[in-house]
Amino acid sequence: MLRFENVQKRFPDGTEAIRNITLHVPQGQFCVVLGPSGAGKSTLLRMLNGLSRPTQGSVYLGNELISDQSVQQLRKKVATVHQQFNLTPRMSVALNVLSGALPQVSHWRAALCLFPAELRAKACRLLDEVGLTPEHLNRRVSELSGGQQQRVGIARAFMMDPAVLLADEPVASLDPRISRGILELLHRQSRNHNTTVLCSLHQPDLARAFGDRIIAVNQGRLVFDGTPDQLTDTVCEALYHGALNRGHDTSAALSAACEPELAVA
Amino acid sequence: MNNLSVNRDAKWHLNQPYNARHLVIAILAFILLAVTGSRMEVPRMVSETAQGLGYVVGLNEESAVATGVKRIAASIWPLRISEEIEVSRIEGFDPNKLPWLSHVEVIETRTPHLNTDTLQLEETIEHKEVLVKPLGYLMHVLLKMLETLEMALWGTLLAVVLSIPLACFAASNYAPNRFVYNLSRSTISLFRAIPELVSALFLVLAFGFGPIAGFLALGIHSAGFLGKFYAEDIENADRGPQEALQSIGAGQVKTLWYGVLPQVLPQYIAYTLYILDRNIRMATVIGIVGAGGIGLELKGRFDMFNFDHVGTILLIIFLTVIVLDQFSARLRSRLM
Repeated sequence: MLRFENVQKRFPDGTEAIRNITLHVPQGQFCVVLGPSGAGKSTLLRMLNGLSRPTQGSVYLGNELISDQSVQQLRKKVATVHQQFNLTPRMSVALNVLSGALPQVSHWRAALCLFPAELRAKACRLLDEVGLTPEHLNRRVSELSGGQQQRVGIARAFMMDPAVLLADEPVASLDPRISRGILELLHRQSRNHNTTVLCSLHQPDLARAFGDRIIAVNQGRLVFDGTPDQLTDTVCEALYHGALNRGHDTSAALSAACEPELAVA
Repeated sequence: MNNLSVNRDAKWHLNQPYNARHLVIAILAFILLAVTGSRMEVPRMVSETAQGLGYVVGLNEESAVATGVKRIAASIWPLRISEEIEVSRIEGFDPNKLPWLSHVEVIETRTPHLNTDTLQLEETIEHKEVLVKPLGYLMHVLLKMLETLEMALWGTLLAVVLSIPLACFAASNYAPNRFVYNLSRSTISLFRAIPELVSALFLVLAFGFGPIAGFLALGIHSAGFLGKFYAEDIENADRGPQEALQSIGAGQVKTLWYGVLPQVLPQYIAYTLYILDRNIRMATVIGIVGAGGIGLELKGRFDMFNFDHVGTILLIIFLTVIVLDQFSARLRSRLM
C-alpha cells in the first residue's frame, strides 16, 4: 500500500532528516512510528501528503509514485489528524467536520455552506462514531475539551474516505487517560474503514497497546521494525535513554540492542 | 561545571539612563520646534488667546479674538428651527389643507423711502402671507443628516466589497504571484493616499453634485484602510486550520473561507464598525465640495452668512456624532 524506497531527505541547511529509509506498509495496517523528538517522524509522515519531498528515493501510494504533479490528487486520498487538532476554532463542530469534504464540494456550495445531504448525513454518522452527541453539532469547536476536539478532528479526517490516514502525534497535547480513548477510537475507525494508518507517537506503552506494527526512527534511520511484542523494554531503553544520554552514538547502540528483533521490511 | 557559576566574576554596571547624546537630541528637537513654531505663528496664537481670556475675565478692554467669537455667537443664537415660505411662491397653495403643524402668518414689512415730490421720508407697508412651519428647517436638516448617514453606509459597503478581494490578493500567503501582490498592495496604498475631499472634487465633476460622488469618495478612501487591515489579519491568522484544509487539497478559496474567515470575522466586524463611524464623521464635511449630504447645506448657509442656520446644522452634527459614538461603542463591546 505504502512504499518508501531508499528515501532520503536533506534540508537546505544540511540536516539529514531521513537517511535511506526503505519501508513497506500493507493496506489496513495500523503502523506506529516511534522515536525521540527530531528523529524524523514528522518528515516521514509529511512526505506522504506532499508537504515534504524526498531529496532522493521514491515514495509510492498504491502503485502511484508521489511526485509534484500528483499532489492535489494524492491529498484527497490521504487524511491527516494533527497534534494541535488544527480545527477552525470559531466555527461549529458540524462545519469543521464538513470542511473535511471540501474538495468534493463546488465553490458556490462551499461559499454558502450548502453541503449536499449525503455529506451532511455522513458527517452526522462520523460524529456518532467518534462518540459525540447531536447537541455538539452546533457548538463552537473552541468550547469543546481537547479530547472532544481531537474526536472532531478524527471525524473530519474520515470525511473523504481516505486510503491512508496520517496521525502526527495525535495525543501529544492530551492527558494519558484521554489519549488512550483517542487511540482506541483511531484504531477502531481505521479498522472499520480499512484505512492504512501511519501514526507517530512518543509513548512506547501506547504504541505497544494500539499498534499492529511498530517502527522506530532515530536520527533519520529506521532502527526498529517489528510487532508490539518485539518492542521490549530493552529496546525502548536504548531508543530513548540512549538518545538522551549518549547523544550521537545512539543509533549504533540501538542497532546493537535490537539486532535480533530487526525485521526485514 | 555548573552553568550558573560561570558569570560569578563578571563586572556589573548600571548607568544613569541619560547621557550626552540625549542632551544633543533634546537641544536639536527644541531648535526644530522653535523654527516650526515661529512659522506656525504660535507666539501670536498664544498672545491673542491670552488677550481673549483677559477680556473674558475683565482685564482687557478689547480683544480681536473675543470680538470675532462674540459676533459669530450673536448671529448663531437663536438657532434657526422654523421655516417661512411666501405663500405666493407655493404652487397650488390651498389654505384649507395646510401641511402638518404649520400655519399661515401675515407679515408686515415697512420699507422707508424718500418721496421725490415732497422730499419727505415715507414708509410703504407691504403685507405678505407666509406659511410658517415651526420645525421646518430642523426637519430639513434632519433629512440632510439622514442622507449623510446613508452616504456613510453606502461608502462603507462599497469599501467592504472593494477591500475583500484586494485583501486576499494583498495577503502574502494567498497572493497568486508577486505581481498581483504588489499590484493590490499599491492599489490599497493609493486608495489610502487620496483624501476623500480631493477625490470627491473630481467625482463631483464626473457625477455632478449629489450623494453619488460623496459615497464613492468615502468608499474608495476607506477601502484603502480596510484592505490593509483585512490583509494583515489574513496573514496573521492561525496557520493550523489552514494547513489542515490545504493538506486535504481543499484549494485556496475554500481554505480562506473555512480556515481563515471564521478566525478573523470578529476583527473584521470591529474594523468595519470603526470605518462606518469614521465615514459618518467624514460624510458631514464631504458635502462642502458639493458631494451631497449635510455638508452641502452647511457650505451654502455659511456662504450666505446665515449663521443661525449654520448653528442648527452644527448642533445636529454634534448630536449625531455623540449618539453614534455611544451606539457603536456598545455594539462593539457586545461583538468582541
